[in-house]
Amino acid sequence: MGTRFHLMLPGIDEDFGQIIFQKVKNEVNRVEKKLSRFLPESDIHRLNEAAKHYTAQVDDELFDILKACKLCYEVTCGAFDPTLRPLYEYQHKMVGAFVADPVFFDLKRRLGFEKVRLNEEKQYVSFENSSLEIDLGGFGKGYALEKVKEVLLKNRVKSAFVSFGESSVYAHGDHPAGGAWKIGINNYLQPGESAHQFSVSGGSVSTSSNFYLDGDILRNHSHIISPKSGEIDSRPIAVSVAAESPVLAEMLSTAFMSMDDDDIFDVISQYESLSAVKIDYSTGKANNTHFNITLLNTEHSELVES
Amino acid sequence: MFLNRKKFLEMTAAMAGSTVMASAMPWFSVFNNPAPFGSGASDRVRVGVIGVGSRGTALVYNLQELKNSMNLEIAAVCDNYEPHYERAIEITNGEAEAFLDFREMIENVELDAVVIATPLHEHAHQAIECMNAGLHVFCEKAMARTMDDVKAMYDTHIETGKIMLIGHQRLFNPVYLQAMEKIERGDIGPITMLRGWWHRNTPWVFYDDTGGRGTALDRQRNWRFYDEYSAGMLTELGSHHFQVANWVLGGIPDSVMGAGSINHFDDGREVYDNFGLIFKYPNDIHFTYDCITSNKHNGMQVQVLGNDGTIELESNMWFEEFPVEPPAVQQLIDNISDDENATIPIGGATWIPNAPIRLGGRYISPDYELNDTLLYLEGFINFVRKGNAPEKLTIEGYNASIWTLLAEEAAKTGKEVRCPEKYIL
Repeated sequence: MGTRFHLMLPGIDEDFGQIIFQKVKNEVNRVEKKLSRFLPESDIHRLNEAAKHYTAQVDDELFDILKACKLCYEVTCGAFDPTLRPLYEYQHKMVGAFVADPVFFDLKRRLGFEKVRLNEEKQYVSFENSSLEIDLGGFGKGYALEKVKEVLLKNRVKSAFVSFGESSVYAHGDHPAGGAWKIGINNYLQPGESAHQFSVSGGSVSTSSNFYLDGDILRNHSHIISPKSGEIDSRPIAVSVAAESPVLAEMLSTAFMSMDDDDIFDVISQYESLSAVKIDYSTGKANNTHFNITLLNTEHSELVES
Repeated sequence: MFLNRKKFLEMTAAMAGSTVMASAMPWFSVFNNPAPFGSGASDRVRVGVIGVGSRGTALVYNLQELKNSMNLEIAAVCDNYEPHYERAIEITNGEAEAFLDFREMIENVELDAVVIATPLHEHAHQAIECMNAGLHVFCEKAMARTMDDVKAMYDTHIETGKIMLIGHQRLFNPVYLQAMEKIERGDIGPITMLRGWWHRNTPWVFYDDTGGRGTALDRQRNWRFYDEYSAGMLTELGSHHFQVANWVLGGIPDSVMGAGSINHFDDGREVYDNFGLIFKYPNDIHFTYDCITSNKHNGMQVQVLGNDGTIELESNMWFEEFPVEPPAVQQLIDNISDDENATIPIGGATWIPNAPIRLGGRYISPDYELNDTLLYLEGFINFVRKGNAPEKLTIEGYNASIWTLLAEEAAKTGKEVRCPEKYIL
């Protein structure tokens, strides 16, 4: 998944910790081998190759993943769209304006998750045209965290903290010192200080952004495509979503990057336990927009906005 | 920070007194102390370009970029191949006097300097005649086809006092300055090995319509394939990296071993389509290098391996052997150890050592928009105005060329080859 993975297991026996670590590592590696489009033997790579030309059958797990993507695509009115990668690659390859580029617009017209056909009865997948391919980059880390969560629950681990390069984290149980884990969102104009805080027990925080941090320097890493224009979004913004489900947090943080505030509110209102913050750095300071404040009352989850 | 021209000048000014700049790249000081000049015709540097093929055309374009800022004029162009001669006229808008014979050019046009971008075997006699005619020379790498010719070029430079610089453009790349600083500072620990490679997947045919290998036209146009004119990828590609290895290690090898063959593009060419070399340097340091033109998976790279880290010069990256934990992760561990539950900025955009750009690595230099060939030519024009250039710059080109030809000998003979005393400066 192109990032460093951290698993913290506080207060448990070292041997047990090793066993848990190995189980988690095996599961993360399994997910990567299944979902990475860079690996020729991965399920998603094989699907991308096959479904362009004929109807492909996939296993239960991948079919469920595609159904989840489709649901998120519909809920976000197309803002979460794992088929837009070819537009990104085209813009990187070609230089110049795209407004009048017929090739670009033809490509844009041919993409969109609604053109991925899912036959629920037979678990068949087919693509409407050969330009389509699925990139689960905005899904994979969240899904891996979901599976890590399952391993931790199954093995009755009480407290743990899991991080995929800090952009996708999962806080399991309570903090060893008591209470929810206080997850700060780094303020990139004042690194080391939090621009926002989520308190999470049994939940995840995922961040999407058009930059990454190199020491104290923000570097452009524009990789998100605006589904409306098809162009690469390079605004200096970051969106963090806290949710009980890591995979939901992952998908929505990607989608919210290209959604208007009103539309984000509409999506959030459909869920019981969701919180988000959009931080805009374009004015030279961190301007936060908070979305929904929800208290979770379930046994394992608590989200408190502050 | 984005390294633009202004930041570059600030960086070279800040490092002006440093050991690393004085020892590895003293020529960079010329950008902070350029030769003074006016905008009049009397202050104009008049340059002639000999050879306007693929590389020569690129050099013309680069020189044209310097035309106004450096008060430079491409006064003459020359190529003995008719289509290139026509192209030379076209790309200089007919403003430069055009010639088919370089001797006519230097006899008939008043010039200060020449830029030579002809086939390798032509470099020596052209550079020597130009220096003897009182002209400063910027010559594309490698220097010459034989070690005697390389030495003759160098000796002429010494005897005439004329500048002779060889176009290893990495010598003017700011990434290398900062990499050298890191090495000097001990960021990667003691250097224990260098590795390099240049892998491409291409038949490397510059001209298709020559009538096939062995024809007179093919020998002229696809000269890189013929032993008489070139050592193939050794001189045309590898020499860049051999120069880098000498530069990083601060000296020349003790010996070189190697092997090469034609195992894929066996189309009548006389030069290797793959080779592997081991250069032995003092202090038991080895530089392994390989080149292939039938597989591009590995791309191009020079790695400097130290006990504490690795520098990848071609990709502007360095890697620590023991990378630090992300600060927030460490803070969280500390908090748990102290039984404290405080807010930690552990969420957000990816911290660079975790970034998908290059897992675990960091940039040596910030992103930059500088063109090292352009910087080199700007340096050359400054040196022409001053009348001399740092000798170390010329020696870098000399040693790279000598060791390229020794590597060729090693690959051809299968022997461990040392440099004959007469070629050691």
